Amino acid sequence: MFTVQESEIRDLLNVLNKEYKVFVPAKVGDESKFVPYEDNVEFCWDRNVLLSVKDKFFPQTEPLYKFKTKRQNLEIEPLAPKDEPVLLFGVRSCDLQALNCLDQVFLTKGFVDEFYRTKREQATIVALGCNEAEDTCFCTAMGVDPQKGHGADIQAHWLQGKFALEALTDKGQKIIDTLKSYLKEENLEVPETKGFQLQPDMDGVPEKLKGMFDSDLWTEVARKCLNCGACTYICPTCHCFDMSQDVRGEEGFKYRCWDSCMFEEYTLMAGGHNPRPTKKERVRNRFLHKLCYFPERYNMLLCTGCGRCLSVCPVNLHITSIIDKVKEAN
Amino acid sequence: MSNCTCGHEHDHAANALIPVRAKVINIVEETPDTKTFFISTLDDQKPFDPEPGQLGMLSLPNVGEAMFSVTNKGEKHLEMAIKAVGQLTNVLHEIEVGQEVGIRGPYGNGFPLDFFKGKDILFIGGGIGLAPVRSLIMHCLRNREDYGKLTVVYGARSQADLCFKEDLFTNWPKTPNMEVFITIDNKEEGWDGHVGFVPAYVEELAPKPQATVLCGPPVMIKFTLPVLEKLNFADKDIITTLEMRMKCGIGKCGRCNIGSKYVCLDGPVFSVEELKDLPPEY
Repeated sequence: MFTVQESEIRDLLNVLNKEYKVFVPAKVGDESKFVPYEDNVEFCWDRNVLLSVKDKFFPQTEPLYKFKTKRQNLEIEPLAPKDEPVLLFGVRSCDLQALNCLDQVFLTKGFVDEFYRTKREQATIVALGCNEAEDTCFCTAMGVDPQKGHGADIQAHWLQGKFALEALTDKGQKIIDTLKSYLKEENLEVPETKGFQLQPDMDGVPEKLKGMFDSDLWTEVARKCLNCGACTYICPTCHCFDMSQDVRGEEGFKYRCWDSCMFEEYTLMAGGHNPRPTKKERVRNRFLHKLCYFPERYNMLLCTGCGRCLSVCPVNLHITSIIDKVKEAN
Repeated sequence: MSNCTCGHEHDHAANALIPVRAKVINIVEETPDTKTFFISTLDDQKPFDPEPGQLGMLSLPNVGEAMFSVTNKGEKHLEMAIKAVGQLTNVLHEIEVGQEVGIRGPYGNGFPLDFFKGKDILFIGGGIGLAPVRSLIMHCLRNREDYGKLTVVYGARSQADLCFKEDLFTNWPKTPNMEVFITIDNKEEGWDGHVGFVPAYVEELAPKPQATVLCGPPVMIKFTLPVLEKLNFADKDIITTLEMRMKCGIGKCGRCNIGSKYVCLDGPVFSVEELKDLPPEY
């Protein structure tokens, strides 16, 4: 592996910034998120960012095409995707796994989502291992290795005041080659991630949930849930979106934006029928989607154990406690 | 798309979320609240070539976009029968021939044609539910020798609410080896046909068990299924099509799931046997 002193990381990012639009994890007021690298960013290396990198591939609002209507006429103008290589430096394993989930949704099953694909193909990802788990972390329970980002181009570790880099793909190797003059070859030991406090047992849960559609559990869970949707917006794997239009006179554009299965309108049909009319059906669908339906469809869990929903839920309705309850259920 | 994994031979080169421009070339008023729109591309071609039962996303981009079943296709156009029930459909009912629209598709699995081949088929429809069923009936009529006897049982609230009247009263009854039974909910002046709900009419007609397509309002489906069961129809032989709210149409936006299936991709056509494996959430 190759190392660079933490104090010199900005030199390295400045080099990368010439070829890529580089995003780094940073503290921004009370939040933390990936921001374009600039000299004065306040890095966030000690813990994962509050807002995942999901929006770099699947923006919260994304224009799809422009249109013009005049009397009976219609013009449609597709919006060309930005041709801009992006480098994300410091993505945690849980959020990389979330991208692997999104890849399944947006790139498989007959249709490729071009908006997502373009951004995904333009991105180079440097993963960053986790030395210490936060109180809300449970990635290992979801089959994620916090020290190895699956699908990254480079694996980085933040160790002993240094960053250690290891190429995982040719793309990653190329980057390390261009940075060689800043790097020293040495091997540092990567420690096991410390401090996991949550270890929900997922063994057999997706299979068991198949038989729990009518369980009383959902009534109990729904009673507590506020249907606020915070969990879905903060989730790195939630991918549901709405499509709508912004119209100004004769011109307008079609866009998509994040939506939430927690909202009544999400499934409300013209004419008034709603297949998921109450909180109970909506909460049930959310947890079954994450832990049962998605595994059935794509053979992977739609939860990566990042723990964000645990920290934002206003009523402490934790997915980890749902998993425990499923395990306990008769 | 070169990296498309669907295994079908359709063309995914275009961006699936962006509609093509098309125009309305004819509008037929079916009932007071339902119109059939004939749609061609600007160069007078069929916008896409759907299989019976497949769907298309139709838009007036400044109003909205929604999924409709394609009720028939011609050489150079598609037909969609649309009931005015919401924001987009109410505006659609105001447009006139010549209106340009956006359209994309085809979406969904369509009817299992191989399953129906060589069989007698019973079509049961209620209200606008005849729209998707009609795409299969028209297919059978275009390929008449591939199918056995065709029987249609169709009901609506009133005479005025019967869709596709020309097919129901003129075209289909005179087709060899095809029978049409029509009912309306209540007695009314000028109607000497059958009166009563579809489930009861099916029970009265007591057709022999055969391949069946069932589509209509949820209440009609709910009461017709026990009748078919009583008449010894097998779950695997009863085919229905479902409706859900949809936005993308390509299995990404999430909302049309029933369990792990997406109605826009894996449906809208399911057999009752398949539905019994899914959560009853539709």
